[in-house]
Amino acid sequence: MSSQVPADLRYTKSHEWVRIAGDTATVGITDHAQHELTDVVFVELPAIGRKVKAGEAVAVVESVKTASDIYSPVSGEIIAVNDAVVQDPALTNSAPYAAGHFFQVRLSAPAEVDSLLTPADYAKQVGA
Amino acid sequence: MLVETVTMELPDVKTVHLKWPEGYDPGDFKTGQFITVYWPHKPKYKRAYSLSSSGLDRGFYDVTVKRDGKMGTSIVDWVEAGDKLFVIPPAGRFLPVFDPPGKHLICVAGGSGVTPFRGFVREATARNLDTRITVLYTVKTTKDIIFEKEFRELEAQNPRFKFHVTCTRLAPEDPWTGRRGRITPDWVKSFVTDPAETVFYACGTNEMVNGIEHLVIHDLGLPKEQMKLEKWG
Repeated sequence: MSSQVPADLRYTKSHEWVRIAGDTATVGITDHAQHELTDVVFVELPAIGRKVKAGEAVAVVESVKTASDIYSPVSGEIIAVNDAVVQDPALTNSAPYAAGHFFQVRLSAPAEVDSLLTPADYAKQVGA
Repeated sequence: MLVETVTMELPDVKTVHLKWPEGYDPGDFKTGQFITVYWPHKPKYKRAYSLSSSGLDRGFYDVTVKRDGKMGTSIVDWVEAGDKLFVIPPAGRFLPVFDPPGKHLICVAGGSGVTPFRGFVREATARNLDTRITVLYTVKTTKDIIFEKEFRELEAQNPRFKFHVTCTRLAPEDPWTGRRGRITPDWVKSFVTDPAETVFYACGTNEMVNGIEHLVIHDLGLPKEQMKLEKWG
């Protein structure tokens, strides 16, 4: 099945996506990831104010089949989390790039974004 | 459904034996299917676990759970005989092909992905089927092999069943004389004698299962129908 890979985002090999707006990165998991996980039943997000490093495990997503760590694609401070997806984890499946996003990070090292996967790279990785 | 007994298979893996309530009838469920469990106070939080018992077993379900996620952690750490879990009846298409007879089922498993294959082998052995079953099982170390004793006993009872383990993270000085390293396409292919009569099963990480899919479709050029996959992350 072909997955959506929006052209305005950057990606990680571990299937997180990042939307950059100014010095803020919004993070979630990709359509491919939610499809592989199947029905998401639990999401645990980091505390606001937590300082995170790129590649650090900061959240947990659990589906009916498995539990997976979610890694921050960028370094910075967690400035917002999506409580709606905690209350309704199924949003991860139904709207992975919108209402099902996970958290926002204020970037401390914006140059890291350049090393993230481009949409074309990620699409190649997942065969989209 | 009542937890009748629990068995620690490994320090982080527990088998839960769930007794069917009086009058319960799940209909014609099959070996290889999964049940979905949830706590009475958290009905939206559900986890699916492959049956480690077989479709021949009536009156109970066995699921063998790794300490993973909220459900796996609570089951392994806390669940004991006398507790109750809500259970949604068996579903799924990860079914052994016992009919037509004479197939060779090559079952590739990683970690707790071996649990449904216990049901496969139990049923084939109990029914004295001529189906050949080869389980290729990857674990980190010899301490991570689930059901080792039972699989060895089934191997002794059933000449058409073979159980092969490969360890990926053993110390060089470990006395293990079996295979080491990850599951490779060449290793899997070495067990294929008649591709047309072989059915491949893979249960484990996405990476491992995708590898088997590639092997079956691209390397061996077999149709998708000869392959059944169960990914868990």
